[in-house]
Amino acid sequence: MLGYIDKIRQISKGLIEDKKVDMIIGFKKGTMPMMNEPCLVKSPKDVEKLVWDSNCGINLANYLTDRKERIGIIAKGCDSRNIVTHIIENKIKREQLVIIGVPCTGMIDKHRLTSMFEGEIEQVTEQNGNITIKGEDFEEILKKNDVLQQNCSVCIHRNPVVYDELVSDLVEEQDVDRYEDVRKIEAMPSEKKWNYFDDLLSTCIRCYACRNACPLCYCPTCFVDESRPQWVGKSDDSIDIRTFHFLRAYHCAGRCTDCGACERACPVGINMRMFTRKLEKDCFEQYGWEAGLSLDERPPLDTYKPEDPDDFIK
Amino acid sequence: MEHMGIEPGRIHFSWVSSAESTKFVQVVNEVTEAVKALGPNNHFITKEAKVA
Amino acid sequence: MSDWEPKIVAFLCNWCSYGAADLAGVGRMQYPPNIRVIRIPCTGSMSPKFALAALREGADGVWVSG
Repeated sequence: MLGYIDKIRQISKGLIEDKKVDMIIGFKKGTMPMMNEPCLVKSPKDVEKLVWDSNCGINLANYLTDRKERIGIIAKGCDSRNIVTHIIENKIKREQLVIIGVPCTGMIDKHRLTSMFEGEIEQVTEQNGNITIKGEDFEEILKKNDVLQQNCSVCIHRNPVVYDELVSDLVEEQDVDRYEDVRKIEAMPSEKKWNYFDDLLSTCIRCYACRNACPLCYCPTCFVDESRPQWVGKSDDSIDIRTFHFLRAYHCAGRCTDCGACERACPVGINMRMFTRKLEKDCFEQYGWEAGLSLDERPPLDTYKPEDPDDFIK
Repeated sequence: MEHMGIEPGRIHFSWVSSAESTKFVQVVNEVTEAVKALGPNNHFITKEAKVA
Repeated sequence: MSDWEPKIVAFLCNWCSYGAADLAGVGRMQYPPNIRVIRIPCTGSMSPKFALAALREGADGVWVSG
């Protein structure tokens, strides 16, 4: 994965110099370990800023909404699926984009790493599938595959689905059971489910980082900011919190690609993907739909087919 | 909703045409029965703000 | 507890079930008094937030009918 960067820089430089794009959206090194920042590169000399490693978990499709420029964007599997969703939802035009596809082998779970060590992590480097973590008085080498973000470890679309350029050969897709934990919750009785989510959301502070990191959340006025009528209370009361997470998940139904940006952005490490993934699973099982795989197909929630399931209607 | 712990049977969906008053009455009966069987809703109620 | 009666919020489509409710009234049919009807312009305008709002405000059940 580390070797990609030369190719990324080379392609980006070419695109800007040939005036094919006005800017490149990619990652630059963050000021803290494991926190690469998105960056816009507009001139060939800035191309050197771009980096690529296993800390590029932010979904760059988020930065495309309603842009007018011609854009070169670096896209992992999940980014590319969200780009497709953006195109389907008329938030950007395919002609505006040059997609630099990056086959991905997963991103590191920074929440997990931070909680694994007492002291502050000062440096994280990777080499040949191993991660070296350095702090003031410790140093440890871990296997990257053991510390992947959970959504990456169950990812089945690691390769970009649309791209104009590709920085390396495609990687092998995983064959995993995506919904084991969702099924576990489905099997619980109602009371237990309620408590499970109470527990899950108990630390939420309503900072809306998950919403802001999400490439799907681009409504001009989000439902939580509406005040007339006010559907969702603004407090950190457990019911308000639950209403927020629940409705947000509904807004993402049939659109979520499980890129994990929400979970990654969460400052208290809530796994809110337990909501979105249930809907993702339902979409897959009832409509055979996975978001962002094709530019020609309309999503299930805006098409009608006579064979759509309707058992829930009396 | 069931996924997050609201009991199945609290929320109902149906399709009744404007000419089907008998079906309407029948569905009202069914829904009422189902909710009665579940008892009062304990979850998801916003508690009144505590007055100091 | 035995005299508890559920409150059910019914979201009825103007053109379908609301008409049916009207007809049931005209026909003097008997049905339980537990439902509180909210007329919506069309079931297509139903949003999950309506159902949640009903539960939040203390409803025991929600019924959406087109």
